[in-house]
Amino acid sequence: MKKIDLHIHTVSTISDKSFEFSLAKLKEYTEKLEIDCIAITNHNLFDLEQFNQISEALDITVLPGIEINLGKGHLLLISDSDELNDFSSKCRQVQSQITNNEECISVEKLKEIFPNLNKYLLIPHYGKKPTIESDVLNILQEFISTGEVTSIKKFKTYIKEDGKLVPVIFSDFRFYDKLEMFPIRQTYIDLDEISFKGLKSCLFDKKKVFLSKEEGNNFFQATDDGLKLSTGLNVILGERSSGKTYTLNKINKSFDNIKYIKQFSLVQNDEDKFKNLISIREDSVSESYLKEFKYVVEDITKVDKKQNELDFEKYVNSLLKFASENEQADAFSKAVLFSESNFIEKDLSILKELIKSVRYLIENSEYKEIINKHLSIKNLKMLIIELMNNYSKLEELNLKKRWLNDLISNIQNELRIRTARTSVENIEFYDLLLDYEKIKKFSQIVKILKNEKEIHSKEMRGFKIVANSKKYTGAGQLKKRSGKTISFKEAYDFYDEPYTYLTLLKNIALGETEYYKYFVKIEYEILNKYGVPASGGEYSEFNLLDEIDDALKHEMLLIDEPESSFDNLFLKNGVNELIKDISKEIPVVIVTHNNTVGASIQPDYIVYTQKKIVDGKSEYKIFSGYPSDKQLKNNLGETVDNYTTILNCLEAGKDAYNERRTKLYEILEN
Amino acid sequence: MLITKEELNYMKYLKINDNKGYYLKLNEGENNNWIEVDKINKDDLMNLINKALEPDFEMDEYKEEDLGNKAHQIIYRNIHEKFLNLIKEKDRFKDESSSLYRDAIEKYSN
Repeated sequence: MKKIDLHIHTVSTISDKSFEFSLAKLKEYTEKLEIDCIAITNHNLFDLEQFNQISEALDITVLPGIEINLGKGHLLLISDSDELNDFSSKCRQVQSQITNNEECISVEKLKEIFPNLNKYLLIPHYGKKPTIESDVLNILQEFISTGEVTSIKKFKTYIKEDGKLVPVIFSDFRFYDKLEMFPIRQTYIDLDEISFKGLKSCLFDKKKVFLSKEEGNNFFQATDDGLKLSTGLNVILGERSSGKTYTLNKINKSFDNIKYIKQFSLVQNDEDKFKNLISIREDSVSESYLKEFKYVVEDITKVDKKQNELDFEKYVNSLLKFASENEQADAFSKAVLFSESNFIEKDLSILKELIKSVRYLIENSEYKEIINKHLSIKNLKMLIIELMNNYSKLEELNLKKRWLNDLISNIQNELRIRTARTSVENIEFYDLLLDYEKIKKFSQIVKILKNEKEIHSKEMRGFKIVANSKKYTGAGQLKKRSGKTISFKEAYDFYDEPYTYLTLLKNIALGETEYYKYFVKIEYEILNKYGVPASGGEYSEFNLLDEIDDALKHEMLLIDEPESSFDNLFLKNGVNELIKDISKEIPVVIVTHNNTVGASIQPDYIVYTQKKIVDGKSEYKIFSGYPSDKQLKNNLGETVDNYTTILNCLEAGKDAYNERRTKLYEILEN
Repeated sequence: MLITKEELNYMKYLKINDNKGYYLKLNEGENNNWIEVDKINKDDLMNLINKALEPDFEMDEYKEEDLGNKAHQIIYRNIHEKFLNLIKEKDRFKDESSSLYRDAIEKYSN
């Protein structure tokens, strides 16, 4: 079995973050991780001189390669080491084509530069971004058998699925001096001796590619110091301060997209956390419930009642004054146009809608038969023509009115300059009435909205989540809703007068599109299986189940001492089963002291961390094995007794366990 | 001027009588009465606007020769014209008002 990493960067190109390559670190990496073969694959270039230096410095097989921007994705193209000059000159052609990160080459260009693609090993980004597009893969399918993926989850899925390429995991890493941790993304292949041909044939066969050296695809390397873990369920045991959380943190740093549930993280402010969590996740419920109201508020925000009243008052006063000043009439104010009001343009929006609707009827092909059963196409066409003629006539009239209004208003302005007489202000009674109608309806809607009501409910893991629409009961709630340090006191005093309240909200520093959120609140409630509001403990339980459930969107799940927050019965009945299910999809690692979690869950693999003080210094060791193993081993070949370890970690030792079992439980039972 | 028995049978809100223009002052809880148009204030006018779209709203047509008082002429003509325009749009207002926020009312009433 050989360990390979065919995706390594050694030159900082325009596609990389800046780094200074360290050959020493690369060497340390290949030695520490016991790697048998690497490929140097820089972005769109091949540095022959550097490649020779690396090959000479390392005692393992080093292959020349290049990572090419091909279409929208990336492709690794790896060569044998026998024609380095030819490969280098071909790579220079790629380099000349791609001068910035946005550029790429086409499949045709690739074939032109590398006419004999069969000679190379082609590995596209497959379950990894930027992915090579499927049509490119189709064109190149005769040359491609392997695809690079990023996670164990994807590796395990693709290896089982017919039609998928042979998955491989590589580090895609840059090596520099201050590197603290090495990547653990490599692939094992079933090959006795490394050769380019042998490598190519292995990467053609799903049965020859593995995540671990000896345990096939059921294990993977979890940290760079040799800890391997099951791709199923792992339990980490150990005394206090023996490095359990440290190990968990290290695993967390070694992989991307991990769900890490830290100790005690779920029991602080359970209810608030729950409500926050739900209101974020269920935001669409609230958005969709208030959608129509949002539109109403946006529309009513444009109504300026105060200005309307002022304009109306101005109109009445100017009219009365103009009439009373009749004796002062001069040649200018006597002109009929002086006090002429504007023409009112006809609103054609309804007619426009009508025309649109008739057009739908004419053009609809899906329901054509039904439509034509009742309305003939001929009649519909006649109808639309008549409506359109009518529209154009009215539109013409409107244009004339607009033109005349402009003319009248220009004449009025000229006349007003020359007379001392008051002119009558203009106002449209229609617009005024419509605005009042809007305010009336708005108040009516707010009144209905404020009636407490269940707007949505759904079942989730034995709990029922209910969304209720409720009235705000104080200015403090509005402030909390806004998340800002602004006072709602003045506005809230008029909470029962919707239009005035809205006017006052406008004076507060809120976004115009946010006003609608301050009329009713959407509150979430969680009911337990008995239909009563959940307790604090039940909130935590719900949060834990929710977090664990969310893990499936990730590549791995890490949980640190769930027992510190929950009782055994819940862990056994609620959590264990869920964790077991999840471990069938992604690797799960749990740190625990608790026998319900540690033992009853029946893990696939056990890790035991140990701390010993030797000569005044702390020494950490990690042992591991199957639950059925008599002994757990570390990478130095040292062992500890599995049974004793489990009893020590989960039951406070053998004596305490026996004592509890014989003196307490049996007595209680009898 | 008190409202006559005859006038009680239909709802007239603007009338011309004896060379003068009058509007019906709507008094809440009391009898309405006729007031000369040059005494109209914004509240009176707003009350009339609120009545203008009712089906039985009536007003005497404006005829300059029937109104000897120049101030009455100006006020009556102006108000009369505005009410005429409003009444012309009665159907549009009804349509617009009944469809106003209809989606919201239907959704939240259920």
